[in-house]
Amino acid sequence: MSSHEESNTITRRDFLRGAAYGSLGLAMGVEGLARAGQGSAFAAEKPLAEVVMVRNEAAVDAGHQVNSVVVAEMLDTAMKTFSGENEIVKAWQRYFRPQDNVGIKYTRCSWHRIHVNQAVIDAITDRLITMGVARSRVTANDFGLPVKDCTALINVPSVKVHALTGIAVSIKNYINFTGWRISYHNEGSAKLGETWLLPEVKGKTRLIVVDMLRPYFGPGPQINPLHQWDYKGILVGTDPVAIDTVCLSICQKKRNLFKGEEWLITPPPRSLATADSVYHLGTSDPTKIKLTRLGWENEQLV
Amino acid sequence: MLRLPQEVRGWKADGQDKVFTRQTIFDYMDGGGEIYLAYDFQRLLAREYARPGAPRIVSEVYQMASSMDAYGVFTHDTDGQPVSVGQAALYSAGLLRFWKNRFFVRLQAEDETPEVKTALMALGMQIASGIPQEGRKPSLLAALPLQGLIESSVHYFHTSVSLNIHYFLADSNLLDLNSRTEAVLARYQQGGDKPYLLIVRYPRPGDAQAAFGQFSKAYLRETPTGDAVFRKLEKGQFAGSRREDRALLLLFEAGSRESAEKLVDLAASQMKGVTP
Repeated sequence: MSSHEESNTITRRDFLRGAAYGSLGLAMGVEGLARAGQGSAFAAEKPLAEVVMVRNEAAVDAGHQVNSVVVAEMLDTAMKTFSGENEIVKAWQRYFRPQDNVGIKYTRCSWHRIHVNQAVIDAITDRLITMGVARSRVTANDFGLPVKDCTALINVPSVKVHALTGIAVSIKNYINFTGWRISYHNEGSAKLGETWLLPEVKGKTRLIVVDMLRPYFGPGPQINPLHQWDYKGILVGTDPVAIDTVCLSICQKKRNLFKGEEWLITPPPRSLATADSVYHLGTSDPTKIKLTRLGWENEQLV
Repeated sequence: MLRLPQEVRGWKADGQDKVFTRQTIFDYMDGGGEIYLAYDFQRLLAREYARPGAPRIVSEVYQMASSMDAYGVFTHDTDGQPVSVGQAALYSAGLLRFWKNRFFVRLQAEDETPEVKTALMALGMQIASGIPQEGRKPSLLAALPLQGLIESSVHYFHTSVSLNIHYFLADSNLLDLNSRTEAVLARYQQGGDKPYLLIVRYPRPGDAQAAFGQFSKAYLRETPTGDAVFRKLEKGQFAGSRREDRALLLLFEAGSRESAEKLVDLAASQMKGVTP
């Protein structure tokens, strides 16, 4: 017999009844969880977290090539909306100072090919420089980012459904800051939120910019082109759990559309639930997330 | 290890071949090696092909310990258009996957063009022809009743990591799956219902009995008094399981108790004729 402990087990039944993983089931649109009178998901009147999403049909062309000019414009729109500033320099100055050493932690998973597009990294770097951070103070990397030397971090993930984690967005993006990457996939990746509390990481993340231009919704681990689509979106926020929850919801709906029936993201993203309830990195409750949607509305899925 | 072609349709081998083992698979696919290790993966040979002005092609040849596990890895992702390469193959927008004997092969291009598709098919054919014999599929597949079977839904695996990707059952190893267990999961079209049938074969009858009791209590929330338990669960759907010697047969999301028991009974009877 295994070391299975009945009392601690969360089953599919628990998850589908909403008796596990907090409100994640609501974000995933699991049948039976949405309750009348609870408010529309991602449109809370008194939210705890704000997320801005900008989409542009011209961001990715029919050949899946990314338009860097359009991407930069999308980022500007998102930043001005999120910060409440009309000028782009002031928008960035809300989060960064010229004397900051800024680390841009992006996702570059070459074998998987669901990495952050260079256009997004370039646009962020350009705007940091424009607002007054010296080029020499900006470092962009996946592996090997000198996080100890950084005074500020920008978390720049791609979006992919993940065979072991459920979904990989901003919370999982810091896994490379640990020396034990593989171990963080254990226990349903429940401890991923811990990476945000590492001494050299904690409190440094000023901004999250999600590259949702071409997300992935398949089972992985390697990509099947059928499971990647041109969503053409950029998301900006400061709450990693809220941002990941929005991405989770979009991917879940895309999976359902693809199969023509419910195709549950599995395993359920326990890391997202624990990032909320254990590590207190933000909220996964859709009713506490204010999502501002701008731009292209086709197949928005949220 | 298999020898790969040096050139196909103008694409030439480019750069050093890379070989990865069970110990080094994570160097190639950090965060993804677990899926291959969940089968009896032995070695991976990766080679890139380049042609000026054309998308690059990456070939990956996974050598498994048995043909059953090569088939199993192939069933990990069943989305794609069936094509004729090896013992079974799927093509999807610049990705060709096939299996033959102990080998699972992935050929992926950076982008899809008509020329790329032709080259991928030619490369696949050449690699497949270099594998002298076909291998046998898992004998457990013979336990699957054919009526109503959705062929593209069949997955063969060993561990709970794989099960939870295809059908999340629980966040602990409720069925005590491990490298020595064999499992096949399939869906059936029964009118408007599409139940899941899961068959697990354990090394010993006692293992199946223990898993049966554990599953019944933790999932169905019933203490079994015989060798079968069926219950009506959420959304009016039925689930249940039956132990048959060293096998456990489980059904999920059936429309009625009768249809659930019928499918499981049929699988159980076919199970008796399945060779180890």
